[in-house]
Amino acid sequence: MTNIETRQELTDEFSGIKYILSSGMRSRLLLCIYKNPKNLDDLRHDLKKPSATILHGLKELETINLVKKVKKSYELTSNGYLLTTNMIKLIDNWYSVNKTKDFWNNHDLSDLPEEVLKNIYLLKDAECVTSTTSNLSNAFNRYLKLISDANRLKIILPIYSENHFKYLTELLEKNKLESLDLVINKKILDSLKKHELFTENFLQNEKVNVICSNRDLKLFLTYSDDFMSLSLFFNDGHYDDSQILIAKDENAVKWASSLINYYKWRETWKDI
Amino acid sequence: MDKNKDINNDIKFLVKSEIRLKILSELNKQPNNIRGIVKKTKITYSSVSSNIGKLEKKNYIRKTNKKYYVTPMTEVYFNSIMEFKQSVDLINTYDKFWDKHNLNQLSIESVKNITDLKDSEMIETTPIDIFKTHNTIKEQIMQSENVKAIFPYLHPEYPKLIEELLNNQGSIELIIPQSIFKEFFLRIDRKTRKMAENNGKLKVHEYKDDLNLYLTLCDKNISLGLFKNDGSFDQNRILISDNHNSNVWASELFEHVKKQVAK
Repeated sequence: MTNIETRQELTDEFSGIKYILSSGMRSRLLLCIYKNPKNLDDLRHDLKKPSATILHGLKELETINLVKKVKKSYELTSNGYLLTTNMIKLIDNWYSVNKTKDFWNNHDLSDLPEEVLKNIYLLKDAECVTSTTSNLSNAFNRYLKLISDANRLKIILPIYSENHFKYLTELLEKNKLESLDLVINKKILDSLKKHELFTENFLQNEKVNVICSNRDLKLFLTYSDDFMSLSLFFNDGHYDDSQILIAKDENAVKWASSLINYYKWRETWKDI
Repeated sequence: MDKNKDINNDIKFLVKSEIRLKILSELNKQPNNIRGIVKKTKITYSSVSSNIGKLEKKNYIRKTNKKYYVTPMTEVYFNSIMEFKQSVDLINTYDKFWDKHNLNQLSIESVKNITDLKDSEMIETTPIDIFKTHNTIKEQIMQSENVKAIFPYLHPEYPKLIEELLNNQGSIELIIPQSIFKEFFLRIDRKTRKMAENNGKLKVHEYKDDLNLYLTLCDKNISLGLFKNDGSFDQNRILISDNHNSNVWASELFEHVKKQVAK
């Protein structure tokens, strides 16, 4: 047996979440009255459980001040509202990760900070595009298609790839792309500089703002006003060009921008 | 009920046992073996071993080179649970601040990001210092050059405070309710006010309805105050914080309310 003291410490540490999350009844009741107060009849109808079970659950939630009874309806207290909103965030986070499970499970996530991962629910509508043996460059082609219509792009590029730079240079020449903020590390910058064509047409282009990062970030992030994409590295340190996460909604763009802002604030990024 | 809108069995499995949560929390910090976990958590060998077995069977953890690792996805799952835990802890820690208070003016994003306030301090008035909350904010404003604030009521000292700030070349952006708009401005020296407005150092947004929120963003701190459910402002407690995350949180909330002004 684990001794009583240790057991008590453990119980205290996690009691707040265990009490709510491990009981289907309590968590469902909170979710049920989240949008609108409901009376017992409504709850019985929604939850398909007998009155006694529902009333018992409500009593428990009233005792810990998450629910209150006003006239004949049950509604969330202020604390109940805060807690349930955050429980929904947990459910959405979970859903979001599960939906693109393979993507998250196959890659090194160490450069995705906790602050950004905790809001992964923002990627709820993202899809994972994978290259297949019959279409080896599926992911890359989808990426090219995605950026081809963008007016403004912000990119963290962790790899030196002539294909990428060639395509970006082309977009700049076509005049569609109005501005490009690019975060790269010193090694990539040096490789770029060795290439005459890129020095002239890319680095010196006034639409391009290159930012040099001291750190070798292990993530390839791109976003514009209306889409974002992310690819990552394998745990063995190799870049994975076969899988890309793509999303075209406002929330996902917000997530991407929070990721860039996270590093902008913490790392010394020098404009070149 | 929509299945995606419910606590699923994976979450239930993890949170049902404090021992599993503790093991994951240790492995999330660093990979370890059973003996190492026992040493760190003081949980018995048999409990750790049987729960490790269950976690491994369900692919939450993997064993490589005699050590157990959390899988990348478990890391994300675990972070989400801990994020929820932090929000519950935050609600409980500042229970008196939230309980029976009106939260309508908070945006849904600010509620979802409430853990950004986790390093805050709750300032409460005491019988021997009944102006403690007001004086705390006053001092923050006096030490700042740039201030953004949502003032839902007119404190007699505010016009003078703002005047001083503007005279010291500072800048201020305010959101105040229509009901106090005129009165507020009549009390600021006209010349100072005009000059600041022309230089863009004084921006004021007039809020059509009642404001149920008190917020200041000073150079180093933020402060947050709420109204009680009975409609009165709670002068007895505020949350203050000086860290980066709360500053971002408060800026986003300020912009959220500002957007409502524009509407």
